[in-house]
Amino acid sequence: MPNSNNNTSSKNIGYEFKSLISKLREGVHPKDSQELLDRMVPLAVQYINKCPDIFDSPPPLTEDDCLDKIMTILESNPMWGEEDKPGSVFHEHYVVASCEIEDQRMRDLLSNLILFSLETDAQYVPLNEIGQPPSRRSRSSTKVDSTNRSSCSSILQSNGIGLNGNKNGMSVKPCSYDPTQTSVGLGNLPLPNYILDTTKQNNVNTDHDVVQNAIYSFMGVQGKYLKKDVITGRFKLDPLTMKTISPVQCGMLLRLSELGYYHDRVSKFSNTMTGYNAMGSMGQAFMAKLKLEMSEFHGQVALLQDQLNAFRQTQMRDFVDRDQSWLDRQREQLTLMKLLCWYMEPLRRMQWLTKIADACQLKKGGDLASVLYTFLNNGDPMINKLANDLLTVSCGPLVRMISKWMLEGGIEDSHGEFFVESLDEVGADRLWHDKFRLRHSMLPKFITLELADKILKTGKSINFLREICKMEEAVKGRKELKYVIDNHVSHIFSYVPDTTWHAAIETCYSQTSKHVLDIMVGPHKLLDHLQGMRRYLLLGQGDFVSIFIENMKDELEKIGTDIYSHDLSAMLDAALRCTNAQYDDPDILNHLDVVVKTPYAGDCGWDVISLQYTVRGPLATMLEPAMPTYKALFKPLWRIKHMEFVLSTKIWKVQMGNAKALRSMGSEIAKATYRLHLFTSEIMHFVHQMQYYVLFEVIECNWVELQKRMQQAKALDDILDAHSKFLHAISIGCFVNTSTNMESHLEVVYENIISLENWQANFYQDCFAELEARQQMARTIAESEQAGRYGLTTEQKMERDQERKIFEQKLITSCRTLEGFAVSYGKAVGGFLLALNSSDDPNLQLFGTRLDFNEYYKKRDTNLSKPLTFEHWRLSNVFGTSKSHMGGRYSMHPQTPSQFANHGHTPLLSWD
Amino acid sequence: MPSEIITLQLGQCGNQIGFEFWKRLCLEHGISPSGVLEEFATDGMDRKDVFFYQADDDHYIPRAVLLDLEPRVINTIMTSAYSKLYNPENVYLSKHGGGAGNNWASGYSQGDKLQEEIFDIIDREADGSDSLEGFVLCHSIAGGTGSGMGSFLMERLADRYPKKLIQTYSVFPNQDEISDVVVQPYNSMLTLRRLTTAADSVVVLDNTALNRIACDRLHIQNPTFTQINTLVSTIMSVSTTTLRYPSYMNNNLIGLTAPLIPTPQLHFLMTGYTPLTSDANLSNHHNPLSSHQAVNVRKTTVLDVMRRLLQPKNMMVSTGPDKTNHHCYISILNIIQGEVDPTQVHKSLQRIRERKLAQFIPWGPTSIQVALSRSSPYVQSSHRVSGLMLANHTSICSLFERTLNQYDKLRKRGAFLDQFRREDIFKDDLNELDESREIVDGLVQEYEAATRTDYLQFSANRRGAKAEGAGDTKSEDTKSLNSADL
Repeated sequence: MPNSNNNTSSKNIGYEFKSLISKLREGVHPKDSQELLDRMVPLAVQYINKCPDIFDSPPPLTEDDCLDKIMTILESNPMWGEEDKPGSVFHEHYVVASCEIEDQRMRDLLSNLILFSLETDAQYVPLNEIGQPPSRRSRSSTKVDSTNRSSCSSILQSNGIGLNGNKNGMSVKPCSYDPTQTSVGLGNLPLPNYILDTTKQNNVNTDHDVVQNAIYSFMGVQGKYLKKDVITGRFKLDPLTMKTISPVQCGMLLRLSELGYYHDRVSKFSNTMTGYNAMGSMGQAFMAKLKLEMSEFHGQVALLQDQLNAFRQTQMRDFVDRDQSWLDRQREQLTLMKLLCWYMEPLRRMQWLTKIADACQLKKGGDLASVLYTFLNNGDPMINKLANDLLTVSCGPLVRMISKWMLEGGIEDSHGEFFVESLDEVGADRLWHDKFRLRHSMLPKFITLELADKILKTGKSINFLREICKMEEAVKGRKELKYVIDNHVSHIFSYVPDTTWHAAIETCYSQTSKHVLDIMVGPHKLLDHLQGMRRYLLLGQGDFVSIFIENMKDELEKIGTDIYSHDLSAMLDAALRCTNAQYDDPDILNHLDVVVKTPYAGDCGWDVISLQYTVRGPLATMLEPAMPTYKALFKPLWRIKHMEFVLSTKIWKVQMGNAKALRSMGSEIAKATYRLHLFTSEIMHFVHQMQYYVLFEVIECNWVELQKRMQQAKALDDILDAHSKFLHAISIGCFVNTSTNMESHLEVVYENIISLENWQANFYQDCFAELEARQQMARTIAESEQAGRYGLTTEQKMERDQERKIFEQKLITSCRTLEGFAVSYGKAVGGFLLALNSSDDPNLQLFGTRLDFNEYYKKRDTNLSKPLTFEHWRLSNVFGTSKSHMGGRYSMHPQTPSQFANHGHTPLLSWD
Repeated sequence: MPSEIITLQLGQCGNQIGFEFWKRLCLEHGISPSGVLEEFATDGMDRKDVFFYQADDDHYIPRAVLLDLEPRVINTIMTSAYSKLYNPENVYLSKHGGGAGNNWASGYSQGDKLQEEIFDIIDREADGSDSLEGFVLCHSIAGGTGSGMGSFLMERLADRYPKKLIQTYSVFPNQDEISDVVVQPYNSMLTLRRLTTAADSVVVLDNTALNRIACDRLHIQNPTFTQINTLVSTIMSVSTTTLRYPSYMNNNLIGLTAPLIPTPQLHFLMTGYTPLTSDANLSNHHNPLSSHQAVNVRKTTVLDVMRRLLQPKNMMVSTGPDKTNHHCYISILNIIQGEVDPTQVHKSLQRIRERKLAQFIPWGPTSIQVALSRSSPYVQSSHRVSGLMLANHTSICSLFERTLNQYDKLRKRGAFLDQFRREDIFKDDLNELDESREIVDGLVQEYEAATRTDYLQFSANRRGAKAEGAGDTKSEDTKSLNSADL
């Protein structure tokens, strides 16, 4: 009996021996394998030496008997014809090999061993003798038999090729209760049961058929008893033959046939022809793995079949030989019970394979991986292992794609499985922003969006470097990275993303990002260009803008069609030359250009002239998408500069000058002029606050923020993200494309400014005409007095009085017109303030309070009071001294004005 | 070059503060006393062309015209280290050399006589600039040359350059000490008239307040002219800082003044500066580059600065106690320099608004405008944040009232009028004086009116027509409502 000490060596020898025997049995002709036979005998001898007590002494049969039987077995193998005489070949070799063995007992043992190994379907080891029918036990009543059989099984056990999954080579004590057994065995209680024995003899054929059917069904093949249901694909009992077998057998057969059903399912899933399979290269990998599982299963079933065949053959031969003694011999007969024991494990495996494959059907790429990943979360180590294997295999192509993408920037993805996709129709000029994007449906669950983004950006950067910057050299350290990324497939779905694979991805990302960032910030001066756009397009360089406007003021007044851009270019150059812009990098200034849009009817210079910042090369790839925003932003900024220009140099300055000139008639026109002055100062306040808000609070504050973020940026996209956030914030702050009516209110305000300018021009024209007339009159009087005549004729005086009256009349009308402007302006500002105060954005609310710093509008317009008081309450909270309140500023929920009205102050309490 | 500003320095006081101003500008722009750009200042992002122009030999020359009727101050300047800075052609000394004898009329007449020569200089300067924005006049209103000739020049400039702004830095006499110039009230009155009618904006530098600040805040017992003038130069330089260090807004004179001045007459601006410390003051005596190294930088916040600027004691104008507490701000511009977190600015504004630290006019929208300005990298400040306030406050009329009272006292007695009658303008009668009084009185009234809600009706009231009774009652209503609100 092999003990655990020499377990390993005996196991190895046993294993080798076993394989020789099975080769012999599987049909290798002894002739072709003489060395096989040569090797067999010494092996058997060794084995016996290792375990001298495999058979109780004396051995059950004599050497001659054994040889006879061996020869018979070999001869009876249908694969060999009569003339081959494998038996005699074997005999010759055996005699040659064993001639040196002197000890008769040894010889006996040797022959017995060979015979026994050959006879017994060694592949089939009864599961620790569970399910051994009592009848079998009863037959093996002799001590010799029992020991013999069990020692044999223990050999096989120790050979480690048992099918029960007990692969650790654990030796099982024969005829004893084994605590590792999964069920209670009755093995060592042999009770004779003659009734059953007889029944068995009668049903020998039926039994065989039933077992054969069961084995067929494992492979999804229909048999005598088991037929497939056409609809469900499950096996059912054939009603015709069902009667011939016992209900117990029926039940067992049905149970066993379940494995067949699952087998069918899995084979369907693993076959591309059925259309139920997973797709793409990852799907192919998945199916390959399924097939591998299948063939392993087939191997197991084949062994069963072998065992059955062997038994059947022996049985038949014994029957033919009428060798009753053999009938009594303990046989490894396959029974349904045994199969039931065996089938548990494969069934579970097949069920899970079915379940997994079912979930994966018609899935591909990352989607497939995601599905597989969900099965990973299973407490059963077997399932976990299974899912893990499947996922690892399936992720192989994915990892290769990632590696290719991240290291070379290429996409080889004929099935559309990769979670990065390249849009072919997008040209290289939009490479950075639009050419590549994440294919979210193909993003495996275990890859976070953040990681995917990094992967996307890495490859994109490499493409960018290569195609746009024309830089071919790769970043250093690629080989190691490639090795790491390619060879740690299973790391990709690690629960904690801290594996070497993830580290490699991270390194690759940061290296590439750094590279691109360095190139953009360094040779391509990205930051300088952003600064340039902020200075010139967003009018940050105040002196430049005012000089530019001053230089162009005549052009700006012209009708759109009369403007030619070449005139303007010279003016732009002059403005650049004579302001602080001259100290700026000429590289930046070269990008600045003035353009004239195609004028619509009625457009003047202000409407058609705009500044443009042209970016080229890699920068264009980066910044091109932002250009429309800049264009959109330039418009309101330009407009507000226009308004400031009109207000200060045209309206205010003229007022100051004319106030001096018209001093003599100051008292008469005072009513109009005061209204004019105050109205002007009101608008001036508005426009300046507006400008301050836009230029300082919106642009400058956000610019400071952007600069901070640019300094911290680790990747180019950090800068671009910050930049687009910056633009977004400014767009909101500049009331570009807001859904509110703020824009329209502003437009009314601006229109009023233009009307005011025209009104003022007419007004002063009238005033000066009147002044001129009066001075003329005074001169006439003086002259006539000098000449010694009367000062005036009545006619002249009447005419003068008439004119004066007309002037006064005109004054009154002008005043009325002015009042009209003031009312319409007041309405617009009121509406604007209301919109600001009821806005969700705290910054806009603050701007609202700033515009009405001394609560002038609030006093004038009761509508404003409500939101203002409310907002005041809220602001005192928002701008409390403690910093903790600052956090609340951004987390506050937007409230619509209607809510204010409905709930009054009550909902506020909950906001604290 | 662009938006140029020509500085005219008149008389003893004007030349002295002008001298300090140019000293300061040179320091800030890194220009040596001889006009050469210092080596460390070559890559400056500042804008020098507003106040300087470059001669062929790369010398920076101030756009300044120095005018005086007596040689003392100008001689001092021309013998100082900065003598080579100025264009000698722009220095005009009357050949007569006797000065104006602290007589406005004398200065005015001499201005008239010398106008051709003077305007030769001014026209040449104006022609030499691309787009002249305006003139800045430095003078005192009490003396002879600055007040008299200054008045004449203002009138002529307004005629000759109607489209250019005229800003003045006018030094008002110290009321706390008895002046040796007996006709000071006459001079002040006559100059005030021109400041009212001919200038576009007047930055009032009240010697009374300057002296008090020097004594109380800077703890200088008997402040010298130089010490006072450095205060003045600080104000002048800071108030032009947005022009010289351009950023997004307020980069020209008009952008700076237009929002402050709602109606043509209400153009008298007060200034305030903080933090004022003696070391900041003393530093200007030495080379600040060396003396400032050891000074600790104080942690002043934007709110501190803005709050302090609203305190009357920091104002460079002594307005006297406002008993009725009705005076208010018409407009405010704060120029903040230093390390400022932009978000701090609007928080501070909000705080000021909540606490109602400033009282504003009831008849129109107004607020505290803020201009964040860069400051010179070459002058180190002892403070993290510093601020200048330019404010249009109605209480400034108390200053004019004071002048009116003093004038009335003198005028009633008819004292010291002889020397005025000697000049052409008063040859026939003293109407000029009475007219001036009327105009200044009108100014005071206008400022008073500007404290009320019905300022818009002021014009009507001024005409004496009380026709709009309805309007009056309405305004009364709003006024009472207004006070209830406050």
